Amino acid sequence: MKTLENKEKLVRLIAIIAGIFTALTGLLLILNYVQIHSGDPLNSAALKSLVDRLSLEPDNQQLTNEVRLMDLLARKAYFTSLWQIKTGAYLMIFGAVVFVLALRVFYTLRFSIEEPTKATLSEKKARQKTQRWVVAAGLTLLVLAGLSAVFTVNYLKSFDTKKVPISGNAEASTIEKIDITSSDSTALQKDSASTTDSAKVIPLNETTVKQQHNSFRGAWGNGVSSATGVPTNWNGSTGKNVLWKTPIAVGGNSSPIIWGEKIFLTGAGNSKRVVYCFDRNTGKKLWEKDVKQIPGSPSTQPKTSDDTGLAAPTMTADGTHIYAIFGNGDIIAFDQEGNKVWARNLGVPANHYGHASSLLVWSGKVFVQYDTTNGCKVMALNAETGKNVWTTARSNEISWSSPILAKINGKIQLILLANPNLVGYDISTGKQLWSVDCMTGEVGPSPVYGGGLVYAANEYAKMVAVNPTNGQIVWENSDKLPEVSSPVYYKDFVYVATTYAVLACVDAKTGVSKWEYEGKAGFYSSPMIASGKLYIFDTSGNAYVFTPGAALKLLSSPVLGEKVFATPVFSEGRIYIRGVKNLYCIGKK
Amino acid sequence: MICLLGGAFMDASSQQQRFPKPEFQSEYQIPTTQQPAPRAPFMEYVDLFVLIAVMSLTTWLIFRKRSRKGILWVSVFTLAYFGFYRNGCICSIGAIQNVSLALFGNDYSISYTVLAFFILPLLFALAVGRVFCASACPLGAIQDLVIVKPVKMAPWLQKTLSLFPFVYLGLAVLYAATGTDFIICRYDPFVGIFRMGAEFHLILLGICFLLIGMFVARPYCRFVCPYGALLKITSFFSRKHLSITPEECISCKLCKESCPFGAIDYPIDEKENKATRTDFRKFIVYAVLLPVLMFVGGLAVSSSYKLLSNAHPDVHLANLLISKPELMQQSNDIDVVTFMSSGKSLKTLVSEATVVQDKFKVGGWYLGAFIGLVIGLSLLNEVIFRKRSIYEANKGDCFSCGRCMDYCPVGKPEHPYHKTKIADEDIGK
Repeated sequence: MKTLENKEKLVRLIAIIAGIFTALTGLLLILNYVQIHSGDPLNSAALKSLVDRLSLEPDNQQLTNEVRLMDLLARKAYFTSLWQIKTGAYLMIFGAVVFVLALRVFYTLRFSIEEPTKATLSEKKARQKTQRWVVAAGLTLLVLAGLSAVFTVNYLKSFDTKKVPISGNAEASTIEKIDITSSDSTALQKDSASTTDSAKVIPLNETTVKQQHNSFRGAWGNGVSSATGVPTNWNGSTGKNVLWKTPIAVGGNSSPIIWGEKIFLTGAGNSKRVVYCFDRNTGKKLWEKDVKQIPGSPSTQPKTSDDTGLAAPTMTADGTHIYAIFGNGDIIAFDQEGNKVWARNLGVPANHYGHASSLLVWSGKVFVQYDTTNGCKVMALNAETGKNVWTTARSNEISWSSPILAKINGKIQLILLANPNLVGYDISTGKQLWSVDCMTGEVGPSPVYGGGLVYAANEYAKMVAVNPTNGQIVWENSDKLPEVSSPVYYKDFVYVATTYAVLACVDAKTGVSKWEYEGKAGFYSSPMIASGKLYIFDTSGNAYVFTPGAALKLLSSPVLGEKVFATPVFSEGRIYIRGVKNLYCIGKK
Repeated sequence: MICLLGGAFMDASSQQQRFPKPEFQSEYQIPTTQQPAPRAPFMEYVDLFVLIAVMSLTTWLIFRKRSRKGILWVSVFTLAYFGFYRNGCICSIGAIQNVSLALFGNDYSISYTVLAFFILPLLFALAVGRVFCASACPLGAIQDLVIVKPVKMAPWLQKTLSLFPFVYLGLAVLYAATGTDFIICRYDPFVGIFRMGAEFHLILLGICFLLIGMFVARPYCRFVCPYGALLKITSFFSRKHLSITPEECISCKLCKESCPFGAIDYPIDEKENKATRTDFRKFIVYAVLLPVLMFVGGLAVSSSYKLLSNAHPDVHLANLLISKPELMQQSNDIDVVTFMSSGKSLKTLVSEATVVQDKFKVGGWYLGAFIGLVIGLSLLNEVIFRKRSIYEANKGDCFSCGRCMDYCPVGKPEHPYHKTKIADEDIGK
């Protein structure tokens, strides 16, 4: 009997010791856990300070060694803590096992034959109670199901009813919904009121328009300017070759355009949308017009990302009018003096970043690529009246790309890029002429035409060269791909600028990469060809001027001193560049 | 505290993999990451062989040797093999979902091994009772080993809580069949312990189950395990089952105290528990109500499709993006980022999510009807009185662990019961 008591005592002692051991190990583990989570060893203030110093003194070997030593110590401390936690956990588990075993033995030793407990209820009464509880459990489930049915919001159902309008016309308040299931000629929609010809709009010809910079990336949106004598050096901080600089009160990411002696651009915030007109020789603001009271314009502006905003699309001009579109679907035409000619709302585009596709005008039509989450289409609006000339539904995903024009087999086509296709349209009828499935992802860059091929590229996808006459993909390249910036073609080479700061040159005929240049910051702005040189701005405002060709030839890398997201405009020996705060005119002083 | 530190340990383990690589300025080349070789295909047949061997051995130990100790050691082996060596996978419990998805999914098929893991324990249960639960399930084994001082639960509480495994089973099948999730695996409380690494809340859950399991025996097996629900049904109809006594029961009542799971039915006092006219009326009412319960259940669960379907990644993402469109512009949520980079439009996502919701509407009817059926049958079972004159294991609830056999003094002259009995008789003399 005494032996049994001694055993009991021993086992109880073991259980107590094991319990205390487990608890202590656990406490230490928690402390270690807190320690390891309280500080990020690689982002310690001391290490950061050393790294900052090193960036100022890159050749300081002693400092380099100190950084390495501290980094090593931080890593050692971190992994030692992990080892301690792991080892501690094993010790704790061991303690817990001993504790449980000791308790089991303890209770086994204390085992004695006992009279079974008498049921407090008869089986019948127990069963009655069970029935009540089973019913209660069933009712609880029912109530929970009912509550979930009533109080769970199904946003999917409201998606259709909340569907934002994607089309309409200025005269009617009704919203046009397009069928995006078909993109062939049967899906073309011709507005009955669209037969009005653009009588008062002076028709453009190729020579006239190529002397201007009337749309995003110049005439026809191909990134090549006819300007000559453009400077290659300037400095925004010292004023070197800066002819004038004027602040822009309401910001935006759209690029300026030029017609004649005037330069136009848009700006927008949640409270206002503005079109500016400046004298391109002096920088003097000629007029500023608020875009408001547009029929169908939403009272609450759609949400956009910061790097898109409501004024991302670039305007276009045809010498008679200038045309602007905003991220809320407002489109407006002014004459050169700033008088409103027409305005309408195309329906708020469902676009999670914000509408970014720029306008393009040609032959009395304003082309609008309207690819939204709720449907995609391309429209030609009468430049004189704003009414639909034609509308073609498109079978693709939402995009942020802009249209370009290209003369193919002697006929001018409108070319649009989106996921998954690159498509050519007849500019007179909107009929789809050809389509090539070649692209994926969220397409931001616009296509470019040159040397008989259309080039298209997008980040996380690929770059392709497509023969628009037969729809064949000539080559593909996935080396360096743009996310925002559009490619440019010039004399047998295509140039792409990436958001990870690389400008790459690709052989336009073969798709073979020729060279790469790493800038100081990523590129949102698109490369432009002017004076036979390639100009590009990175987002920090650093410009890079190259001699285009098979070999890398950097001519200069001037600095603006202000962030740049827009694409520069070239005209008569000058560069006009929109910074985030100011509009600059750069020319030889 | 044990819960907290367990979680801390597992959380830290997972962090180790996320620690960034050093940025070397020198010529040093970081070695390429080595991927461990996949497990040899034949090993899955080894697993299957082990499962069959363990269940066969347990059957032999129950029916021939009547050895609780033997069953205990087999369950220790199972814990080591299927638990810590095989990391809790492959598992008959999780196989429910594979089978469901294979039945209802369009492009999913399962291997014969997984199918065998699903079917074999059910066949054994149909033949000899829940020998799988006795010693072939690592989840059961780990809980069984930590039972220290089990408390008796009131029958009404035990029976009510026992409904949950059926609900969980139905939910698991619905989620698997709709391709939403394998919730049994996702919320397996012990797999994190077997693998020595899991999310904090799962480790916490596992430790909580073990702590509770010291006093409420096998809480997961009894009140959560969906496979247990299936085994309960099949075992109820088992041809042969563990018997507490090797010979005639002497009604010593010891076995009733021995079972920590409350799975022993005791003799019914026929006078006290005679079925009355009220019971008969109740039986009729419950029988008539059965289809009503199934309909109401189906309607209720089908109406809850919005909540239930939100577990599906597409539905969840679509709801999120519609309710918070600003996330499309800036979000660190990996699902949102992945969706945005996929190029898929919100419209497409919404249409896909709507298809999933429609499946839940239909599936909800089946699930609700099933729950209604279970509740109805439970009520019916409570008004049916069966004659019972001896102590016997409840064929549905009994895990065949063998504790009652160990307690039973019949055929064991050295059992303390006999000594106590003799002493009592001596006192009587």
